[in-house]
Amino acid sequence: MTSTNNDQTTTVDPEMKMQSIDLNAWFGQKKALRNVNIGIKTNSVTAIIGPSGCGKSTFIRCLNRMHELTPNAKMTGQVLLDGQNIYDKQVDPVQVRRRVGMVFQKPNPFPTMSIYDNVAAGLRLTGTKKGKNLDEVVKQSLERATLWEEVKDDLKKPGTSISGGQQQRLCIARAIALQPEVILMDEPCSALDPIAAAKIERLVVELKRDYTVAIVTHNMQQASRVSNFTAFMYLGSLIEFGSTTDIFESPKNPLTEKYITGEFG
Amino acid sequence: MSRIIDRGLEDQSVLIVRMGELTYETLALSIHGYIEGKSVQAQVRELSDILLSMAEKVEDQTFQLIARFQPVATDLRTIKSYMKIGNDFARFGRYAFDISFINDQLSGLKQCEDWTRDYVSEMSEKVLSMVKLSIDSLKKQDIILAKTISESERQVDKMYLEYLHNLINGEHPNSKCVISSALMTRYLERIADHATYICESIVYIVTGEKVALG
Amino acid sequence: MRGAPELSLGFLVNNNSAGGIGPAIQGTLILIGFTSLFGIPIGILSGIYLAEFGNNKYATAMRSINDVLTEFPSIVVGITAYGVIVIAIIGHYSAIAGSIALSFILIPIVARTTEESLKLVPNSVREASLALGAHKWRTTLSVVLPTAKAGLLTGTLLAVARIAGETAPLIMTILGNRYFFQGLNQPMAALPLEIWRDSLQPQASLVAQGWGAALILILMVLSLNIIVRLATRGRLKR
Repeated sequence: MTSTNNDQTTTVDPEMKMQSIDLNAWFGQKKALRNVNIGIKTNSVTAIIGPSGCGKSTFIRCLNRMHELTPNAKMTGQVLLDGQNIYDKQVDPVQVRRRVGMVFQKPNPFPTMSIYDNVAAGLRLTGTKKGKNLDEVVKQSLERATLWEEVKDDLKKPGTSISGGQQQRLCIARAIALQPEVILMDEPCSALDPIAAAKIERLVVELKRDYTVAIVTHNMQQASRVSNFTAFMYLGSLIEFGSTTDIFESPKNPLTEKYITGEFG
Repeated sequence: MSRIIDRGLEDQSVLIVRMGELTYETLALSIHGYIEGKSVQAQVRELSDILLSMAEKVEDQTFQLIARFQPVATDLRTIKSYMKIGNDFARFGRYAFDISFINDQLSGLKQCEDWTRDYVSEMSEKVLSMVKLSIDSLKKQDIILAKTISESERQVDKMYLEYLHNLINGEHPNSKCVISSALMTRYLERIADHATYICESIVYIVTGEKVALG
Repeated sequence: MRGAPELSLGFLVNNNSAGGIGPAIQGTLILIGFTSLFGIPIGILSGIYLAEFGNNKYATAMRSINDVLTEFPSIVVGITAYGVIVIAIIGHYSAIAGSIALSFILIPIVARTTEESLKLVPNSVREASLALGAHKWRTTLSVVLPTAKAGLLTGTLLAVARIAGETAPLIMTILGNRYFFQGLNQPMAALPLEIWRDSLQPQASLVAQGWGAALILILMVLSLNIIVRLATRGRLKR
């Protein structure tokens, strides 16, 4: 069953780890998101697809309060995490970002740090390393990111000395080390070759056991491979949302159909 | 805007429509042969074989399209349904052959009374028109037309059951006629079923809904 | 080359009257040291502010002033320092006046090169840190600065090398001295001054001394440059 934007409920849904309610966002005068209501279900992978400029990156950057770091950025509406609005006055954005991690399009390990230090960076930079065995955390994070075997003998090497695909898994390990509840991914594979991308895709599917994942992608086959739910956005609005099988077999909105069958995009 | 996959879809569509027309020809030939008592087995056999190889081609092209283009939505439903419909058409060919076979082996309706001949003839025409309807709605992708097959399907089912009752009540002393007409009506009923399935597939292609038209 | 013959330990260490440029060397070192001690931190902090926190009109104003100052002819700096510090505040030539004058040259350069080095750090690195939930100041301190280390070091050391060779501000502020360091409050010797004065003297021996001083100064600047190269080689291994 898919729903169009008009049907999306604006009431709090307890099954949703995160939920945006009437989310609008601007860059200066330019409106980037129009009344977006999307729910991200717990322990699932939700894909956000749409043509360039549809607002999908802006949307997920609102989920971890990174949008507001851009000069002249503005937003209205709510974003709920476990039912609490992360934009409430008393909520510290820094705390939000510790619970909602992010992996970027181009792998960005810290250039002056070793592989080990990169993974530990999250804990060190946020001052949450007390009482934790860093070695253990680093090993576990790298294992979860399926990178441990490849780098376990080279932990002191610079984070930038490994391949692009490995760097991206390093960034995932870095994010995981903080034990976030949600992992946001902004086109994590678009800078990688197909084999490296496939590794990341397998990882994404596994990650949903312990985390909730939202992934922005312009690759529709990737969306259909890895996600349980898909949201199609266009010109800042949510056009259609539903289970991935429904969206890719029988989309309800003709615009969705046009986009996924490649008539535009 | 035309996409790379459109060419493949177009080829598939052309093949299916040609197959449909050939199917109708084959069925008509075989059924009329049976009713009129003409032997057409050799011809029907040839046509049926052609239909079988066409169905195989549809299947091969389906998998090629899937492997190369990862189709989704309407494209996917279309491709999936074409494969099914191709198999249905091939099956019609087999039924046509079976009918021509019993025509030769059991002398069709020659041993039967007139009323039997008329009954089977009426049922045959109905079924043939159902097949025609399914092919037309496929050509035009017309779901309204497709849905009208429900009525005929019900009628044919009724006719079949009625005829079986007649046989059970011992209206025919001639066993050749009994077996021949029982088999024939059975084939007709199955042909009607598959024509209905084809119409259901057309609704699925256009709307994504899986309906039961029987 | 002309200075080479003059080099001898006596030359370096003795004071002016004994045929040496000791006071000049000492003066230059004290001057640079003192100026850097205060100037570099101020310059770097300003650069950090401009690069990381400066999106408002105060920063824009600060940046404009900074740009103007870097273009200031050093003689103007010297005269200003003379007028403001030597005459008005202290009352006579002194080392500290020279230090203040030089810092007006040092700080803008350090601030600008710091800002530019920090701006070269790709934003993706900052975003990575912020997305982990690090505070902005922590991001700047622990991630951005280390990444820009090479640029900061280069900029700073080159600024220091620059002020080591400045003559004009010194003329008006520290005056020059034949003797060794006598207190920050007093006129002091320095190499550029020495070179300048000596080269204008009629006596050949003094001119030769000037060449010697020039050589020393060149060697100092050269070694600073070499230190910069060596220090940044490790950093630039990307």
